[in-house]
Amino acid sequence: MYEWDFVATLADMDLLLLGLWNTIQVFFLALVFGVPLGLGLALGRMSRILVLSQLCSFIIEFFRTTPPLVQLFWFFFALPILISVQMTPFVASVLTFSIQSSAFFAEIFRGGINSIDKGQWEAAKAIGMTRKSSLTRIILPQAVKRMIPAFAERSIELLKTTTLISTVSYADLMFQANELASKSFRPLEVYTVVAIMYFFLILIFSQLTILLEYRLAKTGEGTLR
Amino acid sequence: MDYNWDFASVFVYWNVLAMGLWATFKLFIICSTLGLGGGLFMGMLRYSKTRWISYPAMLYVEVFRNTPVLVQIIWFFFALPVVTGIEVSPMMAAVLGITLNTIAFSAEVFRGGIQSIEREQWEAGKAIGMSYAQSMRRVILPQALKRMLPPLTSRGIEVFKMSTLASVVAYPETLQQAKLIASYEYNPIEAYTIVALMFFIVLLPLVQLTYMLERRFGKSDA
Repeated sequence: MYEWDFVATLADMDLLLLGLWNTIQVFFLALVFGVPLGLGLALGRMSRILVLSQLCSFIIEFFRTTPPLVQLFWFFFALPILISVQMTPFVASVLTFSIQSSAFFAEIFRGGINSIDKGQWEAAKAIGMTRKSSLTRIILPQAVKRMIPAFAERSIELLKTTTLISTVSYADLMFQANELASKSFRPLEVYTVVAIMYFFLILIFSQLTILLEYRLAKTGEGTLR
Repeated sequence: MDYNWDFASVFVYWNVLAMGLWATFKLFIICSTLGLGGGLFMGMLRYSKTRWISYPAMLYVEVFRNTPVLVQIIWFFFALPVVTGIEVSPMMAAVLGITLNTIAFSAEVFRGGIQSIEREQWEAGKAIGMSYAQSMRRVILPQALKRMLPPLTSRGIEVFKMSTLASVVAYPETLQQAKLIASYEYNPIEAYTIVALMFFIVLLPLVQLTYMLERRFGKSDA
C-alpha cells in the first residue's frame, strides 16, 4: 500500500499559491477584455450591415469550433513570427482567452438580447428613443439579468481552460504543480492537492453566482423560480 | 507582414496529420460513447430518491465538474500509477480523464431533461400499470431525449475539442502531430493554422446541426 506524504507538497505551498495567483490574474484579465469584446461581436452579428454581421459570425464560429489549445499555440508560436513581435506566455494567454471566451460570451449576449420581447423595442421607439439608447437603457439591463447563469457557467469554463497556459510555460497553478511534482518526486500528492485547490476555487466562484441569482430572484427579475 | 507562407512544408507530412486525425477521432468516439452512456446511468443515479444513491452520484458529478480536465488527465497519467502500480498509457490517461469528465457533464444534462418532464407523465404511466423502469424507458426518456439533444450535441463538440489535451501527455493526436511537424520543419505558423482549419472544417457542420436542433426541439415539444 502506498504511503501518502503531504509534507513535501505542503512545505512548498507558497509555490502553488503563487501559481494560483497567476491563474486568477489571467482569468480576471480574460474576463475584463472578453466580456466587452463579446458584446461587440454580438452586436456586430446582429447588425443589419451584412458584411459586418457575416464577419462577426465567422469570428464567433471560428473561435467556438477550434480547440483553445490550438488557438493558444497559434498565438504563442505563430503570431510572433507573422507580426515580428516578442510574445510572452502571459500576453499570449490573455490574448487567446480573451478572444476565445469573447466568442462564447457573444452568443450569450445574443441569446439574452433576443430573448427580450419585441414589444420592449417598440415601446422604446414609441417614446422616441434611438436604437442605440433603447439598447443601452431598455434592452441590455433586462437581458443582462437573464444572462447571469449562462455567463457564470462560461466563466467557470474559462477558469478551467486557463490550465492550458501551463503548456506554454506560464507559471500558473498547473505549471507550478508540474514543477513541484518533478522536484519532489511526489506527483500523487501534488496533483491531488492541486485538484482540491481548483475544486474549491471553482466551488467558491459558483456559490457566489448562485447567491447573485437568488438576489435577483428576490427582486423578481432573475431566472430562478 | 511580408511573411512567406509555405503550406507545402506541412502537406508533405499529410500522412502524419491523417494519422493524428484518426487518433483524434478514435479518442472522440471512445470518450463520447462511454461518456454519454455513463452519463445517462449517472444521471439516473443522481435523480434517484434514495439518498445513499443520489448523494455519492452528486459528489462524483461535482468533483469532476469543478476540476479542470487537464488536471484530471495529468492526475491519471502521473498520480494513478503511483497509487495502483499499474502503468497508465497516454491514451488510457486521456480516455479516463475525458470520459469521466463527460460522464459528469452529461449526467447533469440527463437529470435536467428527466426533471423537465411534467409529473403527470409519471402518474399517467403508473395509472396504466407501468413500473418505474417501464415508465422511465417508454414514457419519460423518449420525451426527455428530444429536449436533451441540443445540449448533448454541444457536449459532443466539447469532447472533440478536449481531445487536443491528450497532446500534453504525448498521445499522438492531431495537435501532437502538428507539434512534431512544427519542430521538424520550423513552420509553426503553417502547421498550427492547418490544425485550426482542420478542427473548424470538422466541427462547423456539427455546430450548424446544434443550431438546427435547437430551433426544432429547443422550444416546443413538436
